[in-house]
Amino acid sequence: MNDLPTLDWPTAVVFAPLAGAILAFAWPRRAAGIGLASVLLTTAAVAALALRVLAEGAVVTRLGNWGAPLGIDLRADGLSTLLLAMTAGVGLFVSLGALDSYAPARADERTRRYFWPLWLLLLTGLNGAFLSTDVFNLYVMLEVIALAAVGLTVLGGGREAVRAGLEYMYASILGALLFLMGVGFVYLELGRLDFAGLIAAEPAPALTAALALMIAGLLLKTALFPLHFWLPGAHANATAPASALLSGLVVKVSLYIFLRLTQYMPLPDELLVTLMGTLGAGAILWGGIQALRAERLKLLVAWSTVVQIGLIFVAFARAGQVGLAESWKAAALLILAHAVAKAAMFLSAGRIKDEVGHDRIQDLDRSPIRPTLAQFTFALAAISLIGLPPSLGFAGKWVLMEGAMAAGYWHWVGITMIGTLLSVAYFSRVLAGFLRFDRLRTPVAEHQGWALADTAPLVLALAALSLGLVAAPILAFMEIGYPFGATP
Amino acid sequence: MTDPLLIFDVILGLAIVALAVAVLAMHDRFAMIVLFIVFGLLSALAWVRLSAPDVALAEAAIGTGLTGALLLTTLHHIRATPPAPVPVPAGAIIANLGLCGLIFGGLVVAFLSTPLQAPGLALPVAQNMEASGVAHPVTAVLLNFRAYDTLMEVVVLLAAIVAVWMVERGTAQAPSPVMGEIYRGFARLALPAIVIIGTYLLWVGAYAPGGAFQGGAVLAAVGLLLLLSRLYRPQPAHRPLARLGFVLGTAVFAGIALLVASGGRVPFEYPAAHAKTLILLIEGMVTISIAVTLAALFHGREPEYASVSENHK
Repeated sequence: MNDLPTLDWPTAVVFAPLAGAILAFAWPRRAAGIGLASVLLTTAAVAALALRVLAEGAVVTRLGNWGAPLGIDLRADGLSTLLLAMTAGVGLFVSLGALDSYAPARADERTRRYFWPLWLLLLTGLNGAFLSTDVFNLYVMLEVIALAAVGLTVLGGGREAVRAGLEYMYASILGALLFLMGVGFVYLELGRLDFAGLIAAEPAPALTAALALMIAGLLLKTALFPLHFWLPGAHANATAPASALLSGLVVKVSLYIFLRLTQYMPLPDELLVTLMGTLGAGAILWGGIQALRAERLKLLVAWSTVVQIGLIFVAFARAGQVGLAESWKAAALLILAHAVAKAAMFLSAGRIKDEVGHDRIQDLDRSPIRPTLAQFTFALAAISLIGLPPSLGFAGKWVLMEGAMAAGYWHWVGITMIGTLLSVAYFSRVLAGFLRFDRLRTPVAEHQGWALADTAPLVLALAALSLGLVAAPILAFMEIGYPFGATP
Repeated sequence: MTDPLLIFDVILGLAIVALAVAVLAMHDRFAMIVLFIVFGLLSALAWVRLSAPDVALAEAAIGTGLTGALLLTTLHHIRATPPAPVPVPAGAIIANLGLCGLIFGGLVVAFLSTPLQAPGLALPVAQNMEASGVAHPVTAVLLNFRAYDTLMEVVVLLAAIVAVWMVERGTAQAPSPVMGEIYRGFARLALPAIVIIGTYLLWVGAYAPGGAFQGGAVLAAVGLLLLLSRLYRPQPAHRPLARLGFVLGTAVFAGIALLVASGGRVPFEYPAAHAKTLILLIEGMVTISIAVTLAALFHGREPEYASVSENHK
């Protein structure tokens, strides 16, 4: 009777995908089956953990029973659990989409076999990072994530993908090394590495240096303008499910760590917050312009990721330093919104490319083949990314602007508006094409306009659209366990 | 100021910086790698002077030996001539220097402000050594107190080999360097010695500097010698075994971490009576995985995959 509740869910959330990765790699013939089972198990474990967090508040596991700072603790509070749930949900549907994208007819044997171990290792790293309470452990998790992500980037093969993957790896490793240097400064000053030590710390020059180094590393990894140079190539040249994972989930980890660290470490002043917001504004403008100029659908979607990352940083800065105690919630909501919508969008873009045979935006409307359901999914995802009600993107932007207006920071409101207009403009380039039938008239032949493979992106897009209706419970959930405030 | 070793330390530090500059200034790629190896050896020496023999061993075995081998084999595969260096405008150099100097200065100020003798975690580690099951503090931290980190480092290695197998696809196989008869004779002499050294490093890790990563790196040298001297040629039929070798360490480590969690214990909490046995078992399996993975990284590709998949069709 007492068995189920005592099961250690945080550990299960990390070890279920790890076990799956080991089995899927050792037994490639069954990789897809093992992979899917492992993702399902992980999702179930996350659901159980979420219920437990909802009922009892933050859940802590002291690995080895040593306790921090000697040992390492795993901690699931509202924010962690929300991001775990985001990863599990997006991951599950991307996995389902991958079954079609890497079907024997579409992908070679190795792509099909090695996608699963790489993705499961990535999932291990993601879940581990969201549960971590120790800066060195976070570095190790970043390494796991980085290598698995590079593997996923080059999964499709081809020169462009390998080149983009190499560039991504350089950026990623440099970011990780900067982060590690920051960790070194933390240990020099405090003699410990756990979050509790950071929270109790007094401001010191070494901690400022540590924070600066870590933030620089994380910004490089999360691709905030002007450190975004590696992202469009890497995300546009990967295969669709890999792009969905990279854009939807991987860049979010460094954002999440950024949110944690800026709350825990003594922040120097308002300057840093304004700088983050300004870089975010730069990302919105520059990314928007590049998205308007992009010639290929996947490249446009990748540039839209640059824009959305910028938007999340604007949300972080929306009410200055005094507003930080609330602003992280707006940022977290936008992280969630972008993950779900962008995964749907990359998957549907991949479907369109698979069906039509190319993804040149200019020629999309001249194709006799119309993957209507995939196009519909793309439009739904665009609605959330633009931020129209009732989508989750709308809720996120609403919270952002509400806070900015209350604090009197009208420039952040203006930037958000401009970003919204730009996103309407660049998504219209694609949607207008979808709606035009006049350029080429051919009888709709054997193609149905939809396929079972459209289910996964469609469900994700519908989720992005409808989750906005439950934005209030989501906001309440992420406050469980007081992620920022009381000591963990 | 009477300490004669101080002079040695100053010269060592200056030599390391000079070597780093030389590596960057060098245009010939082979010379770069050789200087990098020397740089690594001196860094290992510096770790010894900093009383960190474990790090020194790892630096020498992995950072210098294996990385050097990887760099040299990569150089062998890159047949294109390097592009001519693009002239950088003097303004950019000055701006870069200024910016880097500013950052460096800031970091130095921050470094100098830290407490000189921070207590760190040395005290809690010393207090819990009894319960850890081993006598060497570094091993206790790596395999017990922070075993979770170490498990994930082994996972990183697993991810690395999968990623490398993905990357090499489609690239033509370069002919391996030809080694003469003398080389093969050397390999026959050296192999048993390396095996003994590697195993000793693993075993001694329980109470003195050494352990899985150092031992595994030394044992990986066995694989390198076997590959280079063609005493062993990777075959497609060996792939299942190789994959098993890659995952062995992770699987056993994770399995033990989870299996000990019964009867009120949490994951990674080894029962006190069996702690030493379990740690040695984990280290042994991890050593095998590290050795196999590093050797496979050196080989750099999945054996003959293309022809096999065609046969299947």
